Amino acid sequence: MNQQEGYADDIVKGFVIWSMVWGLVAVLVGVFISFQIAFPQLNFPPYLTYGRLRPIHTNAGIFGWGIGSFMAFFIYITQRLTRTSLWSPGLAKAQLWLFNVVIALAAVTLAMGMNRSKEYAELEWPVASLVVVLWVIFAVNIVMTIVKRREEQMYISLWYILATLVGVAVLYLVNNASIPVSLTKSYSAYAGANDANVQWWYGHNAVAMVLTTPPLAIFYYFLPKATGVPIYSHRMGVIAFWSLIFMYLWTGAHHLLWAPVPDWVQTLAMAFSVMLIAPSWAAVFNGYFSMNGQWHQMRENYLVKFLIFGITFYGLQTLQGPSQSIRTFSAFIHFTDWVPGHVHMGTLGWVSLVLFAAIYYTIPRLYHTEIYSIGLANVHFWLVLTGQLIFSITMWIAGVQQAAMLNATNPDGSLHYSFIETLVELYPYWHMRALGGVIYLAGLLVFLYNIYLTIAGAKTQAAAQRA
Amino acid sequence: MDSASIYYLGVTLILFLIFAAIVVRTYSKRHAARGEEPKFRMMDDDYPNHQ
Ligand code: HEM
Repeated sequence: MNQQEGYADDIVKGFVIWSMVWGLVAVLVGVFISFQIAFPQLNFPPYLTYGRLRPIHTNAGIFGWGIGSFMAFFIYITQRLTRTSLWSPGLAKAQLWLFNVVIALAAVTLAMGMNRSKEYAELEWPVASLVVVLWVIFAVNIVMTIVKRREEQMYISLWYILATLVGVAVLYLVNNASIPVSLTKSYSAYAGANDANVQWWYGHNAVAMVLTTPPLAIFYYFLPKATGVPIYSHRMGVIAFWSLIFMYLWTGAHHLLWAPVPDWVQTLAMAFSVMLIAPSWAAVFNGYFSMNGQWHQMRENYLVKFLIFGITFYGLQTLQGPSQSIRTFSAFIHFTDWVPGHVHMGTLGWVSLVLFAAIYYTIPRLYHTEIYSIGLANVHFWLVLTGQLIFSITMWIAGVQQAAMLNATNPDGSLHYSFIETLVELYPYWHMRALGGVIYLAGLLVFLYNIYLTIAGAKTQAAAQRA
Repeated sequence: MDSASIYYLGVTLILFLIFAAIVVRTYSKRHAARGEEPKFRMMDDDYPNHQ
């Protein structure tokens, strides 16, 4: 425990460091699988094939890097917004161990081919059960800290944190309901179209409750901290929060447009997805308006640059997403590389930029020092921005080209191109995407080096002071 | 419309009404100042005992 301030911050350090480790694994595997697509001879069966490595990439990214750092910042933020120390630092320590065990088990079991075949819910029941224990421990600790809070009112970040805790629990339990037939194999409790519907209700709300509400909690907390100016409107934040919660849960079926789920379910998902523009952009405007009179900080304050670019990508993401949810648009881009373009603007642009800012803000404070190099932080920023833009833009162009080719017909109505012919045309884009990934990886390494030297410098300083 | 659809619509309507009530409350004149208070208080949260 950090005695001076009374907050349990050592555990925050642990989660930040481990989330960075898993983040590096996710990006390394991501770059490798992007090369596997560009150069198929890089597939080495059975373990090092694209099919085995892709879920390791997504699990390490979303759960290792994403959830790991959300755990860090939920603990950091909740203590401060409630002005009280964590309910149980001991429990949080156990949580950190369990978190790492779960992610390591996920990597090993997925490499061995144990997979429920549900996207983002791949883990077989023994590992999934550990995830449930992990989440309960985490949720109880945070909720109990909020219960014993010294602040009467809850700042908007706390609402997003609570929504994440409840939302993930409900989604995970429902979509993971399955019938085990052995230690390594289970079957979903649902069948056919129902199973698909439950899966995408889960899948899209993983986007909501993992890739949206936690980074929003973090953004709303760290933007004012970084600029030194309060958020523009707390009440607008509250309304945007409730409308986001009201709308998100109905949108899952936009992943199943034209599929054999009832038409009205698809239409409902489409309508609610378009409505989502409002709460999403309320958060974006809240960020932008908070910058009134502060825009010069974009140049002077590297943290602000990460945060404002992050929220801008969130804004773009929440315009592109609703467009993709419209039947005609979906018919065009679905099953093409457009979709990974969308995904990575969200994960590499929105989520990761906000997390980088939060880590840059907290690590020096937790270690009572300054960041090692602002210059390196700027290099990091431009590298990850360039890498991500190359990735997303090439995938959007590739997606449009592939969609156009898949839709091209001859005068007699037959298809002009076979599926494999469309793939052959995509090689140049896949090379570009791999290059984008390498640039992003270079940026990430600069970031890790900067953080490593910051921590190492702080430890040397502390040792010198003690001597 | 079968009973499942009516139930679905009913739940949506109830949720919408709850949401509308939250909007009205949040933007009522009585809550204006109080509703903005947390954004100022969070600016200074470095010490747990600071009121
Ligand atoms: C208003 C908000 C959003 C809407 C309506 C939306 C809509 C969509 C749609 C329709 C798809 C499916 C595309 C297809 O396969 O045809 C999709 C995919 C996806 N979106 Fe979004 N999106 C939104 C925001 C976001 C955000 C903020 C993220 C954050 C990272 C995100 C991450 C993803 C991911 C990971 C997938 C891929 C799912 C898969 O594996 O198929 N989305 N989105």
